[in-house]
Amino acid sequence: MHVVLLRLALGLYSVGFAHSVLTALHKKQKLFRPALVCVSVGFLLHILSIIYRAMEVHYLPLTQQYEAFSFFGALAALGVLIAYAKYRIASLSVFAFPLIFIMTFIANLFYDPSASIPPLLRSNWIYIHTPLVFLGYAALFIAFAAAIMYLIQEHALKSKHPVRFYNWLPSLEICDDLAYRSLAIGFPLITLGIITGALWAQAAVGGFWATDAKVLFSFLTWLVYLLLIFYRLTGWRGRKAAYLSIVGFIGVLVTFLGANYFGGLHTFQ
Amino acid sequence: MQLALVGVSHKTAPVEIRERLAFNSEALRLALKSLTGRQDVSEAMILSTCNRVEVVAESPDDRLIREFLCEFHEIPHDVVSKHLYSFRNVDAIRHVFRVAASLDSMMIGEPQILGQIKEAFRIAADAGTVGMHLSALMNRAFAVAKKVRSETGISQFAVSIGYAAVELARKIFGDLSGKTVMIIGASKMGELAAKHLKRNGVSSVLVTNRTFERAVELAQVFEGAAVPFEHFVDHIDRADIVISSTGAPHFIITKMLAEQIIHRRKNRPMFLIDIAVPRDIDPAVNEIDNAFLYDIDDLQQVIDANLKERMKEASKAEEIIDSEVQAFCVKMQSREVVPTIVQLRDSLEKLRRDEIERNRRHLKDLSPEQQAAVDHITKSMVNKILHTPIETLKQMAHDPTGADLVEVVRRIFNIKPLQ
Repeated sequence: MHVVLLRLALGLYSVGFAHSVLTALHKKQKLFRPALVCVSVGFLLHILSIIYRAMEVHYLPLTQQYEAFSFFGALAALGVLIAYAKYRIASLSVFAFPLIFIMTFIANLFYDPSASIPPLLRSNWIYIHTPLVFLGYAALFIAFAAAIMYLIQEHALKSKHPVRFYNWLPSLEICDDLAYRSLAIGFPLITLGIITGALWAQAAVGGFWATDAKVLFSFLTWLVYLLLIFYRLTGWRGRKAAYLSIVGFIGVLVTFLGANYFGGLHTFQ
Repeated sequence: MQLALVGVSHKTAPVEIRERLAFNSEALRLALKSLTGRQDVSEAMILSTCNRVEVVAESPDDRLIREFLCEFHEIPHDVVSKHLYSFRNVDAIRHVFRVAASLDSMMIGEPQILGQIKEAFRIAADAGTVGMHLSALMNRAFAVAKKVRSETGISQFAVSIGYAAVELARKIFGDLSGKTVMIIGASKMGELAAKHLKRNGVSSVLVTNRTFERAVELAQVFEGAAVPFEHFVDHIDRADIVISSTGAPHFIITKMLAEQIIHRRKNRPMFLIDIAVPRDIDPAVNEIDNAFLYDIDDLQQVIDANLKERMKEASKAEEIIDSEVQAFCVKMQSREVVPTIVQLRDSLEKLRRDEIERNRRHLKDLSPEQQAAVDHITKSMVNKILHTPIETLKQMAHDPTGADLVEVVRRIFNIKPLQ
């Protein structure tokens, strides 16, 4: 059942994906309303799918690669829907819908019904550590998308050549505000995520967690965001903050996607 | 429906001609009454703006209207004739739709024209000179204008310095409420730009000028505060938007000063508009993060790009209008075809009966069977004669080019128009 629901969600997300492609091609957001409806319905089905999965395995469905991508896709959708409800920025969807689609698509690809839960992950920590990290990532993704929008809009304004995206992008102040707020939500979440992860590792394997590739990368990423928070507080805005936010999110992607290939505790089996 | 439209516009006539043909509101009512009082003019409305004067009427002949315009304004026909344009039927419908959708405006896509047409229509309706035809036409024109506005970007792009400033400020700040603008130097153009910004939400205005009295004067206009020119640097960091237009021969805001200002503003963005020639603000200021500098050429460049966008959107609008004109013609014709067919049948049937009645005397010797045969023969003759005209009319109901056919049929069979 959860697979059927996930595929239905994927189908609905594809409308969002099509919306992004069309907007990039035609400068105009003609498909936004239907895409928003499809992604919202898709998101509900997606959440249902995750709940079904949880009931099936009697555990937090986050121990397999398929589940991780699915979860991240759902959170990214949640983040975009919240940001839209708050700011009414339709253009955010142009960046976010493809990511939601791709994450859910990969989840579908990686689905392996025979996989079992690794004994190491059978711990109550998983209920705290993983959701914190994932929610943090979703918020930082929004910050990343806002930073990209900021840079496009700023470039258009500085160069004085109205480029093709010019008219549907939100104002610089809104982009910057969105980036800052998402950072202010995402940073504490990943900080708590790292702390709970350390505590879990301490309890499970007795402290050798620093040799794990994912742990190292996430710590580096965390440092980048720490720096960004620090500069933000000293009055950085706009372009420089946007650049750093993008560097930080590349760190998130490397951590999330790449760490699997370096081996260690977080490798999916 | 037989439309005739006669007019002049900024495209065909200089202002000296346009002003002589214009109607003030008093003259308008008078003219409408006098025009509809004439033979062959059943409905009329007049649009008179600074850029165009147009008379639309339900009338078979546009020459009537040309004559009327000259007579009413007491201008010899040969003075204005080469400036006047006339359209009939389909072309008149298309022209009305294009004007309402602001495709014929001096500034394509400007929104005022639709309001002016609505007003002209209201005046004509009040004067009782619009009927079924003009009402249908104008209501359709309003709907078409709305459609063009919402489905194309024809009026989305700012094409004046003032609106370009507002558009750019919105791209930087989003909502302009709570923002402050500082005007340096009291020039007409600076004042205009500030007026646009104020109207679009900017909350406070600071004014500075070499002659302080002038600054105070201008500050009063904007309900703002005047700042002595010697101290403007101390206040400028309060301004989110700066409009500079002094007559100074050198830069009054250098890159170094701008860097200090941005620093004092804690990097909050600042939009600087330099409309002075020679320029007031060092162009290098644009290189500073969070400072956005536009000089008069930059603004002009934005306007040019926007005009190009409007032109592109205009061709989309023309397509919409094409299909709307077709649809409207078809609708109007099918509205006229059915009554015409009915009237045509009725009038020939009446003719047949009258003839039989008139010849009753000669027919009275015939047997009832023979009388029935005469009745039958005449009936079938009428039907045979009418067969082709009626079939053709029915076909024409769906063909927008056949506008005049109903009229031709009405004329040759001498059928009075419907009221």
